[in-house]
Amino acid sequence: MTGVTATTRVQEFIGDPLAGTAPVAREKLEEIFQDIQADLRFDHELNGCLNCGICTATCPSAHYYDYSPREIVQLLWTENLEGIYDAMQEKIWACAQCYTCAARCPFGNSPGGLVMLMRETAIKHGMESAKNVLRPFSRVMLKLISTGNQLSPDMISRDAFPDWGPNISKVDAPLAVLRKAIPVPTLHTTKTAWEVNLKTSVELYTIWEETGVLTSLKVVDPNLFDVIGDIMDEKRDEYAEWLEEQEEETT
Amino acid sequence: MSDPNERTAGERFTGHGSEWKSAALSAKEAQGATAWVEQIIDRRSMLTNKDRVEDVRDAMWQLEKDGEILVHRVSDEHRPVHVRTLYGWDKKIPTTQLWHHKSCGQCGNIPGYPTSLLWLMNQMQIEYLDETDQTSCTAWNYHGSGIGNVESLAAVFLRNFHQAYVASKAQGLPEGYYYPLVHCGTSFGNYKEMRSFLMHSAKLRERMRKILGKLGRLVDGKLLIPEEVVHYSEWLHVMRDEVAKRRVIDCSAIRATIHPACHVYKMIPEDAIYDETVLDGNRVAVSTGIMQTLGTQVIDYSTWYDCCGFGFRHIISEREFTRSFAIDRKIRVAVEEAHADVMIGHDTGCITTLDKNQWISKADGRPVGLPVLADCQFAALVCGAHPYKIVQSHWHASATETLMDKLGIDWRARKAEFEEYLKDVAAGRGETLYDPRRMITSGPGYKRLGQPG
Amino acid sequence: MNDPILIVGGGPAGLAAAHALARVGRRGVLVDKADRLGGAPILSGYAKLVPSGEWAKDAIGGMVERVRADPLVEVHTGTTVRAFDGSPGDFTAQLSDGTAVRAGAAILATGFTHFDSLNKPEWGFGTFPDVVTTTQVEQMISSGRGVRCPSDGRKPQRVAILLCVGSRDRQIGREWCSKICCTVSTNLAMEIREELPDCHVYIYYMDIRTFGLYETKYYWRSQEEFKVKYIKARIAEVTSDGQKLIVKGEDTLVKRPVTIPFDLVVHAIGMDPNVDNKTIASTFGVALEPHGYLARGNSYGNMAETSRAGIFVAGAATGPETIDDSIGQGHAAAISALGLLGAARAIA
Repeated sequence: MTGVTATTRVQEFIGDPLAGTAPVAREKLEEIFQDIQADLRFDHELNGCLNCGICTATCPSAHYYDYSPREIVQLLWTENLEGIYDAMQEKIWACAQCYTCAARCPFGNSPGGLVMLMRETAIKHGMESAKNVLRPFSRVMLKLISTGNQLSPDMISRDAFPDWGPNISKVDAPLAVLRKAIPVPTLHTTKTAWEVNLKTSVELYTIWEETGVLTSLKVVDPNLFDVIGDIMDEKRDEYAEWLEEQEEETT
Repeated sequence: MSDPNERTAGERFTGHGSEWKSAALSAKEAQGATAWVEQIIDRRSMLTNKDRVEDVRDAMWQLEKDGEILVHRVSDEHRPVHVRTLYGWDKKIPTTQLWHHKSCGQCGNIPGYPTSLLWLMNQMQIEYLDETDQTSCTAWNYHGSGIGNVESLAAVFLRNFHQAYVASKAQGLPEGYYYPLVHCGTSFGNYKEMRSFLMHSAKLRERMRKILGKLGRLVDGKLLIPEEVVHYSEWLHVMRDEVAKRRVIDCSAIRATIHPACHVYKMIPEDAIYDETVLDGNRVAVSTGIMQTLGTQVIDYSTWYDCCGFGFRHIISEREFTRSFAIDRKIRVAVEEAHADVMIGHDTGCITTLDKNQWISKADGRPVGLPVLADCQFAALVCGAHPYKIVQSHWHASATETLMDKLGIDWRARKAEFEEYLKDVAAGRGETLYDPRRMITSGPGYKRLGQPG
Repeated sequence: MNDPILIVGGGPAGLAAAHALARVGRRGVLVDKADRLGGAPILSGYAKLVPSGEWAKDAIGGMVERVRADPLVEVHTGTTVRAFDGSPGDFTAQLSDGTAVRAGAAILATGFTHFDSLNKPEWGFGTFPDVVTTTQVEQMISSGRGVRCPSDGRKPQRVAILLCVGSRDRQIGREWCSKICCTVSTNLAMEIREELPDCHVYIYYMDIRTFGLYETKYYWRSQEEFKVKYIKARIAEVTSDGQKLIVKGEDTLVKRPVTIPFDLVVHAIGMDPNVDNKTIASTFGVALEPHGYLARGNSYGNMAETSRAGIFVAGAATGPETIDDSIGQGHAAAISALGLLGAARAIA
């Protein structure tokens, strides 16, 4: 073999660890950090860091993942833009959102709260990590945004949660009957956790629109956004019809 | 046991060398010197006062004075009980005229949770309203997915609490008659966080005035803020003596472990109840207080402070984490270390996580089983509530039957009764805890009713 | 013009001030609310003091005896000041024992209050008998009984000392560093190792602040000679499995969460402002600084001034302070008070 090769033998063997990852432009990194920083909670939840580790000490996720709330705080406090971007690819989704870190931090930081600002920003920028994470959440979001209820009885099934075992319901009867056997009338539902007034759902749509929730949904899951849009239109029409009927009845 | 004061060879107690001489304080002097730490005094209020840590309620009173907000008060008609929080501050817990702010997770898959609570209220003739005009707090989805933001969460908070304030009008009662009682720990923590952000940010208040105005949910053009955000477990805590009077089943043999919920006592920790009569005020009082008052043995365990592993998104899409955490750091510890008969919680996500994630422990050959119930379910059970019709224990995956066996409840017979009762239900003859016509207070389906009771 | 100087508080600072005044022939009236003089080192039964290694009872006890024996110092124990009026050179103090004292000036050496660990319930004090404070360990040593687990009197094999309990903690509104606990803890760790050579002692710290010459004498020596282990971690919670205490932390340098069993956990408790500071401030008409200690009027020009002319302050009344610095400040306050009265005489 003669001549000079462009790669070392080690690189040939293990490959270039950076191959295939396009560098992220500095402007993009700055924009992401500014979005995190712009939230009114940022200054409230990040005051400095003593590097004492009490947050990681008490963090459930730190026991199971390569995740440390102290590291998140350090990245944000030192404005380590690459590190922040990296953490947003995966680590921030490990946080279990228990907020024990915030209850313990002697500086009064809320690492769990800061993680939420990073998650919101990951969604705003349509980061792949956010899309991956949200996929299994689409049923919850569909339910929540269209009705105002996050969870419904028909979502809990043996097929959906095989690891929960056969005892999800210990009485063998149709779901609708079991629900009607709950002596609380608002709970006689199967598609929502409780019966939600149509007027209530429609009010909630205004909140979604006014606060930009639908905009972020559109970025990460355009299909879901379309489906939800259709449901919202339908329910609004339904409510408008009811209002008209009322009008007619009184006149 | 050996004499603690005995000195053995090779064990020197010689200070810094030959110049050492004993200070020889008498036992009395020694005791006197540390007596201050043994005093059980009004210590938390004395030492962590409001000069040191901010009380957001003080900011509320100021904003109300400035005409920016209106505070929904816990007034005498709500028959409040005063409790002390972590730093010895006062909190008012209303005990009647309550507006149930339900929990989607409870209603969705642990329906015996709210049912037991309402049943207990019926037993004690507590006035309440359970209605359809309310949404989830949306915080489970927010913490899990990141969809949502501080504005959407704050707006939902203000909307639901405004509805609690005006719901009484449907019954011809004055505004503010009902006071909201939050069932879910996630909602409880989230709403308190939102209240705090609202008090700190004029910008957020301005945005909210616009949105709530659009919804027609301002009072005299002002945002309505609750004087106290109250969790049902706090209500149960202050009612514990009343509940215990109604106990019909002896539970002194029951070894109970408590799982306190992170969003109940770690989030806004200064608002959590600590009671001198419950573990000397060193642990959050709710749940432990009612279990002690009912006569069970409350057993401590080394992972008491740990979260359950719910994780909001983890329970859906990182299940290995959730079940590993729930089994290894909670259930197995409670069983093997504390020899518990039951684990008692006070929050939706925790109960779900701890209850549902036990079966999978068979997979690694070390099966573990422990009944998991909410405090109010246990309370209802030992006050004679039907284990299936009311406590709805068939929705629990954990072995609630072993607990009922130990309590001397013939669950097979009760279950057979319930299965028989399902025929009545299917035929439209189900029983309810309140007049169903009350559950709609406006909008489609509303019919005007007279005043309650 | 020969009115005495009122000294409130008979701990190291107050004793030093009284002694300093007497040495130049000025009378002092020393008032202490406790039934004896000596302040925290005596009342709380401290063991060996930093930096001399002398027993508190000998070192501070000697100061007490010196003042007690001095005819120029009038001592009122079990006494507080009820009211204080007048102007520099001509104050009157009403004492709780009924005495009225005319004083040219006053020196407040009112000290601090130990942090009460019950305010941090998650660290197990009050729940588990084998969670104790540095003061209690000092007590175990100074009483001659040795370091034992209170639950059953056994000799601990593993001891954890948690630093910054009641210090540097916004959760409970105590943002300050209590200054002395690092050195006190390293000192205690060595004493424990000396008494119980088979016992492992771990110190959990955020930062080690054995400032100045204490670095070698305490921090280094405790490692080199006594094999005390230092782990950079703030402990999250102390619980029990029924046998041992369970301590949960992150070893921040190794970056892993750790859970370790211990026999004895020691809280290195910080220094709170004296619980009576609000009363003291209102009685004497002096200002408190934002943490709740007595505010200094002047950091550079005249030592020991408060916000009110004629009233001086020394020692831990102004913030966490060491014993030897408190003694130095007692002297400084005495000089400042004398200087003021001298000036008053010159003008008159």
